[in-house]
Amino acid sequence: MLYYVFTLVFFLFDYFILAMGLNIQYGATGILNFAYIGFVAVGAYMTGVAGMPSNITGQHYILGLGLPFPLNTLFGGLSAMAMAVIVALITLRRLRTDYLAIVLISLSLVLYDFCNNFVPLFNGADGLYNVPAPLTKALGLNVNSFIVVFACVTGVVALILWFVMARVTNAPLGRSLRAIRDDSTVAGALGKDVFRMQLKSMLIGSFYAGIGGGLLIQFGGSFNPTAWLPGETFVVFAVLIVGGAGNNIGMFVGALLVETLLIHLPAFLPEIPGHPGLIEYIDSALVGIVLMVMLWTRPQGIVPERVRRAVTFGVPDRPEIDARELGSAEVLGAPVAAATEGAK
Amino acid sequence: MSAANATAGSPPLTVDALRCEGLTKAFQGVHAVNGAAFEVPEGKITALIGPNGAGKTTVVNILSGAMSSDSGRVFLGDTEITNWPAYKIARQGLLRTFQLSRELGGLTVLENLLAAPAVQAGDSLVNVLFRPGLVRRQERENAERALELLEVYRLYRHRDTRARELSGGQKKLLEIARAVMASPKLLLLDEPMAGVNPALIEVIGEYILDLKRSGVTVMMIEHNLGIVEKICDHVVVLAEGRTLATGSMSELRSNTAVVSAYLGEVINAGAAH
Repeated sequence: MLYYVFTLVFFLFDYFILAMGLNIQYGATGILNFAYIGFVAVGAYMTGVAGMPSNITGQHYILGLGLPFPLNTLFGGLSAMAMAVIVALITLRRLRTDYLAIVLISLSLVLYDFCNNFVPLFNGADGLYNVPAPLTKALGLNVNSFIVVFACVTGVVALILWFVMARVTNAPLGRSLRAIRDDSTVAGALGKDVFRMQLKSMLIGSFYAGIGGGLLIQFGGSFNPTAWLPGETFVVFAVLIVGGAGNNIGMFVGALLVETLLIHLPAFLPEIPGHPGLIEYIDSALVGIVLMVMLWTRPQGIVPERVRRAVTFGVPDRPEIDARELGSAEVLGAPVAAATEGAK
Repeated sequence: MSAANATAGSPPLTVDALRCEGLTKAFQGVHAVNGAAFEVPEGKITALIGPNGAGKTTVVNILSGAMSSDSGRVFLGDTEITNWPAYKIARQGLLRTFQLSRELGGLTVLENLLAAPAVQAGDSLVNVLFRPGLVRRQERENAERALELLEVYRLYRHRDTRARELSGGQKKLLEIARAVMASPKLLLLDEPMAGVNPALIEVIGEYILDLKRSGVTVMMIEHNLGIVEKICDHVVVLAEGRTLATGSMSELRSNTAVVSAYLGEVINAGAAH
């Protein structure tokens, strides 16, 4: 029972991390990154080859650095960021919205085929396996206690990353990203370097994707192309849309509902008599139905993007001005010159 | 001063805040701008007028970096800014508004103004993570100034409203307030009075005069010649992508080329109403 519960806890926190990464790219900046699962895969593979020794027989892969946790995971996150730089340089300068989305999904397919067929990179279609389980030797863990401990470690990592993401999205940086999402031409006309800002968003989001992927491969001990079929990107999008694009807490709620309850919980339910394996395949249909219902009835998600009120900027509330503006006669004589004095 | 200005016979005004020479822009062979050349005198309000399709908005798009020109040169003060990206031009102090209001709809009214200062400490990831005090302090200062502007532009009551929920007139005011928040040296207003009620036209006119009084140079595209005559010091007439004439509104009324190309059309339209 403990194994089941903590497996669900792991996926909850891991998809919380993944959804936060996609949220800053799409929810905050409006970049429709349909290649997101590719960045997760890069993080997973690079974490794997950074943590694995160079001499495991029967597998072909690059590096084999033997780095301990969490350095290997950090390496995976940074590798995903490095890929984001390349992708951003190719796509973001010239493409927008739907064209960008088409190119990104194409890039994801190219990357998938490359990793699937080029065996020396990450062992081809077999993928990486026997990836060292972190902390087992240091803490003397067995298979079951590892799941409990690593789910908790993932929770701590998710909390740290949530704290960082909340600080970023609540800062002027987050506001500039949302300005670009709403109208990149206006943002540019206000002096925002749109490409540079989008690049920042891609880098931060990809780092989260890489870390999430890195934790995933270490939890399962293996990772191969079936784990990151391009359609998997849409599961993360489902988490984001159900939770509420633009809200980090919404990502937690989305991860809980979509990834944990709809996708992973049914796998632990007893089989339906006469229909072996049916339950495992019903999750995709469930996600699709929930997604359609949400988009129809509550497109802003369960926890919508919050309104940042004036008082949160540390300035005093002045209700007397509210009252004055309700009587329009007086405001016609407002002292315009005084406030525009600093304009030049 | 340009040849067009000299032919209109107006006296030299002051130092030029903006100057463009021989601007051209064609779309699939059609010349939207075809050699436009004029100056915008510093500290004055300049109107850019002309019939529909004269290339006014295309010129503003080129000047503000939203569009690149095929040829020609643009100077902001002494700095050549020809075909610079929009964000660099804005950082030089040239701000603009749009013909159709383009509010940042998902942001609140206050946030629209807070997004305006081009360079903010809080736009840097390093500052956000490691110098939160600096970011918070600058944010509070900006918020205080933004709220002052919202009070002036009668939007204070809507500070926490998402900008997409404002009325058309309020969006016009928001755009101007947002541009002012960015501390412009030169402000390009693309039809600031379009689609607003007559009372608000007067109010916006007063705001523009106040900007001039505070030292901001303004260039505005406008079809309402009454307001142009009332608040503008200098007028540039564009027709078929070229500068037809420049001068004061009274001078241009006696210019037969201007009357036949534009003013006659406007006067006739007014008579028909």
